[in-house]
Amino acid sequence: MSRAKLKALGFDLPLLPTTAVGSYPKPPELMEARIQFQRGAISRERLEDLERRATEFWIRTQEALGVDVLVDGEMYRGDMVAYFAEQLSGFEIGGLVRSYGNRYYHKPIIVGSVEWPGPMTVRWWRFAQALTDRPVKGMLTGPYTMMDWSFNEYYPDRKSAALALARVIHREVEALIEAGARIIQIDEPATSVRPDELPIMVEAMEVVLDGLQDQAYFITHMCYGNFEAVYPDMLKSPVDNFDLEMSNSGLDMLEQFRQYPYTKDISVGVVDVHSHIIEDVDTVEQRIRAALEVLRPEQVWVDPDCGLKTRQVDEAIGKLRVIVEATRRVRQGFPTSG
Amino acid sequence: MEALWPVIHSTYPRVGDSPGEQKLRRAIAAWEQRQISDEELRQVEDEVARQVIAEQEQAGLAVVSDGLVRWYCPFSHLARKLANVQIDGLLRYFDTNFYFRQPVVSGPIQWREPILLHEFTVAQAAATRPVKIVLTGPYTMARYSIVQTPLYQGRLERLAEDYAVAWAMEVRQLVQAGLMWLQVEEPALLHAPQDASIVAAALEILAEVTGPAKIALALYWGDIKPLWPRIQRWPVDMLILDFVYSPLLLDVIAAEGSARPLGLGLLDGRNTRLEDSADILRQLDRLAPRLKGTHHLTTSCGVELLPRDRARAKIERVACIAQSFTGGR
Repeated sequence: MSRAKLKALGFDLPLLPTTAVGSYPKPPELMEARIQFQRGAISRERLEDLERRATEFWIRTQEALGVDVLVDGEMYRGDMVAYFAEQLSGFEIGGLVRSYGNRYYHKPIIVGSVEWPGPMTVRWWRFAQALTDRPVKGMLTGPYTMMDWSFNEYYPDRKSAALALARVIHREVEALIEAGARIIQIDEPATSVRPDELPIMVEAMEVVLDGLQDQAYFITHMCYGNFEAVYPDMLKSPVDNFDLEMSNSGLDMLEQFRQYPYTKDISVGVVDVHSHIIEDVDTVEQRIRAALEVLRPEQVWVDPDCGLKTRQVDEAIGKLRVIVEATRRVRQGFPTSG
Repeated sequence: MEALWPVIHSTYPRVGDSPGEQKLRRAIAAWEQRQISDEELRQVEDEVARQVIAEQEQAGLAVVSDGLVRWYCPFSHLARKLANVQIDGLLRYFDTNFYFRQPVVSGPIQWREPILLHEFTVAQAAATRPVKIVLTGPYTMARYSIVQTPLYQGRLERLAEDYAVAWAMEVRQLVQAGLMWLQVEEPALLHAPQDASIVAAALEILAEVTGPAKIALALYWGDIKPLWPRIQRWPVDMLILDFVYSPLLLDVIAAEGSARPLGLGLLDGRNTRLEDSADILRQLDRLAPRLKGTHHLTTSCGVELLPRDRARAKIERVACIAQSFTGGR
């Protein structure tokens, strides 16, 4: 059904479309420039110039590798929640909090009513899409994750905060669609965090997509959680495609799919983004084939487990190359690729 | 209630936003790129541990910890030195956006060498107050381990028991070094209360080796109330309770009291909003008539998930409230 929707939206994607989850590593010169900008040593124009160059690098790289649906790589973002929180009223950016190992992020604090400030991602989407004929995904963070990954000093409870954020993200989705984006990813990696709050995530996503469901193909990304606890109820979310981290967890969700058929499209994570080791093509091919034992090929997209920003540039390219090559091998077993 | 001590729960942020508070972050990054040696990293870890202890003492806490500043996560830091355990991929830590690495158990769990002795020795030398040592509980360790040996397949109880035996070896070393407060954390129990007997059995093993040290059980990030009657009978000297996730527990304890001294986790260790002191004092006033002896006031969980400036404000608030409560009596 969703391939029909993609066709109706003007996309003629091959079977098993390849894509990426969102972020790519920033080149060393951009990393250094971000530090220099924070210190006031360079101008915003200089920083943005480097961000544009890095974005173009990743668009060209994805094209050269043969990725089907591209991402802009988020060269202009530090963190998937803070990027939006920095622009929305009602937030202040808190101090550093550890996410794992030696990785830290600035966790936002909701201190007032959150309001949409105008388009937050449209300019970068337009820039990236203008560089290529291949579709570029619009990339947003979902309201439940925005709420869950922020401190809340304003709203009386978690649901109120999530729904307020949903109304804001809805406006951003409208803006992306108006700009021409037709594949939009709204990441909800916090979805499985509190299974009892799944109805909040679903209700918030309904608010986000209210009246817009026919106007774009919607993906949501989830990772590193207890998916078993929210499956199959998570399928109530009104998106078309769940993008799931699966290789890190040994493809164990496939067993769930055997017990309760998976009904939507799925982007299957086939490489571990937290390992320096680049998987060999045979391994990734086996993972795709394992997924196809329980999923119809028309349902399946192929991508990494999560954003690749924690890898080195050459590691990220290596992992993308393996994904594309393994997918090509698997496609050869099917009579048509469209 | 005769006394109320303000204490650290367990963790404390290892980095802050000022350049001076970034030292450990930079050292770990340099160590990962082999730019500094193991010993150089250890020196920075020790220095940061001492800073963290000093901050807690300056805040007015009566029992401190080294903030667990060396720990990669609650599992791998302990499991990496056990025999037949490797460290695997990332998994979200309960309902946080913090990620841990899962232990992979490929054979019998065996203690091989001291794990926390160095960090305890450093902390004890730096502190002027009692130092708490934290262990991820045997049940929580077992629950989040990946089992790759028939020895433990389908045998969670046996795996938890073997973790407990390994931890007992560790605790013996720590007690010999002067440990006075051992905190065993079992957050996983609140998500599987049917496994309470496994936790109880593991605590029996640990209680046998604590000697003069006191052993506390910390439960957080779930509802404790259904387990409350049972856990009071367990062989521990203190129960450290998260009242943020168990708000109804306050009514129960206010009505019935407690068979054990309590660590009262009344301040939210997960949110930056600073509690109103008067609200917490009202809750303490409700509990006080039914509680005998000395109890602790703390946060609902470790404060590592807060920014460092907010964590500092939170423990200062803990100390201030305890002082107000004690001073008023």
